[in-house]
Amino acid sequence: MTQHVTEKDVRDIATYTRIALSDEELPQMTKDLNDIIESLKPITEYDLEGVEPTFHPIGSLSNVMREDVETTSFTQEEALSNAPKQQDGCFLIPAILGGGDQ
Amino acid sequence: MAAFGAMGVREVRAGLAAKEFSAREVAEDALSRIKAVDPQIHAFLEVTEEAAYAQAAKVDEAIAAGRLAEMGPLAGVPVAFKDNMNMEGTHTTCSSRMLENYVSPYTATCVANTIAAGGIPLGKLNMDEFAFGSSTESSAFGITRNPWDLERVPGGSSGGSAAAVAAGLATITLGSDTGGSIRQPGSFCGIVAVKPTYGTVSRYGVVAFGSSLDQVGPFARSVEDAALALNALAGHDPLDCTSQDIRTDFTANLAEGAKGLKVGIVPAFMEAEGLDAEVRDKVAEAARQLEQLGAELVEVDLPNAQAAMSAYYVLGPCEAFSNLARFDSVRYGYCAEGHKDLGGQYEDSRATGFGPEARRRIMLGSYLLSAGVYEKYYYPAQQVRTLITQDYVRAYEKVDVILAPVSPRTAFKFGEISDPTTMYLSDMFTISINIAGNGGMNMPVGLGAESGMPVGVQLISPQFKDENMLRAAAALETVYGPAPVAPAFCPER
Repeated sequence: MTQHVTEKDVRDIATYTRIALSDEELPQMTKDLNDIIESLKPITEYDLEGVEPTFHPIGSLSNVMREDVETTSFTQEEALSNAPKQQDGCFLIPAILGGGDQ
Repeated sequence: MAAFGAMGVREVRAGLAAKEFSAREVAEDALSRIKAVDPQIHAFLEVTEEAAYAQAAKVDEAIAAGRLAEMGPLAGVPVAFKDNMNMEGTHTTCSSRMLENYVSPYTATCVANTIAAGGIPLGKLNMDEFAFGSSTESSAFGITRNPWDLERVPGGSSGGSAAAVAAGLATITLGSDTGGSIRQPGSFCGIVAVKPTYGTVSRYGVVAFGSSLDQVGPFARSVEDAALALNALAGHDPLDCTSQDIRTDFTANLAEGAKGLKVGIVPAFMEAEGLDAEVRDKVAEAARQLEQLGAELVEVDLPNAQAAMSAYYVLGPCEAFSNLARFDSVRYGYCAEGHKDLGGQYEDSRATGFGPEARRRIMLGSYLLSAGVYEKYYYPAQQVRTLITQDYVRAYEKVDVILAPVSPRTAFKFGEISDPTTMYLSDMFTISINIAGNGGMNMPVGLGAESGMPVGVQLISPQFKDENMLRAAAALETVYGPAPVAPAFCPER
């Protein structure tokens, strides 16, 4: 079978998608992705010269505007109600500047 | 005491109107039946007792004031929702550790419409994690069992929604369908299960999987109940710009019968490799029944339908990759403890919060959308989508509705399918309908000769002609009867 993605590629994809992947998990994930990508092969074998793509199933939609009226939305408290960490009415994250805290 | 969850909409309404029972009694009985029966099935992830009683009180007040006639089509009817649908104050977990502690601060439009129509909300239902799957085995909170055989899966991803109706725990439940996730569990559990045309029901507040494919629809034990639920669900919602201004009465032509109806049969589907004989036989039998009822069978060709699988497994993961990027461990969702840098917190949280299939699909989608790969898979998949859509448009020049299998086989046993690419084949007959945006539904037609498990046929409508498939389903219902509650869970009447 063609190898579509190497372990190094999968490592890069994991970094890009922000999903930690252990060295133990890497071979299985690489195999799974290669198997799935191989199963997608038919899509590469169609003669699609001149065929327009369909990005959306309802073809006849046109853009509409709505009145610009003020409505109520979440309060700050509601918006923060599911935050794992918060402080002073804000979402709290680890420091992103400095880099000296490792 | 009657089991109200095992009653139909009309029966509940008649009993309320005649004051044989109150909505409060409906709620009480339905909740106690869930307590007694659901431990065997595990359809429910959360039971919303307080909301059920509050809604029952509203319905009873309306009845006391003589306003039952003004109430919506689901007045006093026990309903429940797939756990990817937000309902304020409930957990909406998508059966994922990622959302285990998430409490909805708002309500999805489909849930709001069901409750506004008078439905008594009983709770939230199990599913495959983030709707990625065909068996509900990937739920982070345990499997759901098929009420027809507790050793078998209920199908998926809306497995809890199908099992709850099949066990008589609710009259109507809602599910969502991206590639077959309403129709296939409906087929496995032997109940009516409708995925309407894309754009019929608002997706606002339903956790997104594949935004150009997802559609919400009802599970019920009769075609009329499903149609009444659709009446409550359909219509434009300013919060979902793809939802259409639909004012169809989906019950209007149910009594018209099959006479004069042109029913398409796709020979390539009937001869497909992997289609079990017991399913094929039942579909062929249903076709003969429709013919005897006066329908005309017409062979139609969908030459590009076999490309739907690979198009779907390109488009689905790409859209899922994009939609699941929102789970950042900051605003809501699981957050791994003890990280001093944001990147480490993201990566650990997403690795721990998402199950294996979610991680696979996110990574696959990311790969397929990367530069150089996009041109090879994603763009052609969207072109193939055009070809599949054109196939359907051409077929519907000749027919009103298409009859096909739903699933290539009846419900399988737990653990029987573990390879992801084999599991994906569960949706081989349902996927092209999402790709083209048509309506599709499962109609139960009895039990398979070999497995003894429910078999359903799929009826497929042109876009925004969902009444066609409902009419054909109602005609079949005159032959096969409404869907029964699974025998082991049939309440004593």
